Amino acid sequence: MMRSISNMQIKTNYQDRLVAGFAALAISIHLLESALPSPIPGIKPGFANLITLYVLIRYGWRLAINVSLLRVLAGSLLLGSFLSPTFLLSLAGAIASLTILGIAWHIPGKPVGAVGLAILAALAHMGAQIMTAYLLFIPHSALFTLLPLLLTVALISGTLGGILVSKIMKRTDALNTA
Amino acid sequence: MSWKNTTADFSFADKIIFLFSLLLVITSYFYFWQSTPATYAIIKSTQQATQKVDLKNSKTYRIQGALGISAIEVEKGKIRFVSSPCNNKFCIQHGWQEHHGDLTACLPNRISIQLASINKAAAYDAINF
Repeated sequence: MMRSISNMQIKTNYQDRLVAGFAALAISIHLLESALPSPIPGIKPGFANLITLYVLIRYGWRLAINVSLLRVLAGSLLLGSFLSPTFLLSLAGAIASLTILGIAWHIPGKPVGAVGLAILAALAHMGAQIMTAYLLFIPHSALFTLLPLLLTVALISGTLGGILVSKIMKRTDALNTA
Repeated sequence: MSWKNTTADFSFADKIIFLFSLLLVITSYFYFWQSTPATYAIIKSTQQATQKVDLKNSKTYRIQGALGISAIEVEKGKIRFVSSPCNNKFCIQHGWQEHHGDLTACLPNRISIQLASINKAAAYDAINF
């Protein structure tokens, strides 16, 4: 017997729903951020990535990858920037920060806390974005004149974001153990 | 949410990462924002052959342009337009140029000056206006 499409159901588990929920949160923040005016192109507070960081610390790297990539994909579809330069920069940044987060998170003994992870992710994000911009869009060394400024912003926003996540972590510890 | 006890949010590794990143950011300013002094200038005009000018020799060059003669002064490694028969005198206002990669021009008179250092590759492949 043929089943009609309306009856089709995808079985979801608890992890899927976690990914969906956190991705939705990250996408909302991503959209709100894109509405904020920015003094220099490429400077954004990057709050959407704090969701990735939270998910990484709470639920592990694989879930963080899902949430982050889903955020980049769905965010770009909603903003209409899918496959545009903005999207490619966003994707490159997400992949770079996920990679470094994966490495730092899996160091035995977990010495790196939320702040360290956030700083590493922010710097990797910025570095990958400027390299992508250089390799694909503006192959001129003058682009690197912006790098010190962008790295400064990344360090500041990464540190502040990491402190925020660390504090949120402590506040929600009670919820999660209950 | 209070910002009290924020130091408690930094683990030992976090502090090391923060300090190293700070060091990296500071070095990036020195690395990417240093400017090399120029050693020579290339003066191009539509009315005259291109000249390569040594910035060590202080001298005033008179270059024929599309409107008339522009005076270009070289002094102690720097170069500037002193006079030009254009209307707005943007070239004169632009003042002294002394770094590798700098560029100044008098567009109405069709004269451009490109600065470069013998220690570095030219910053521009071609200039067109």
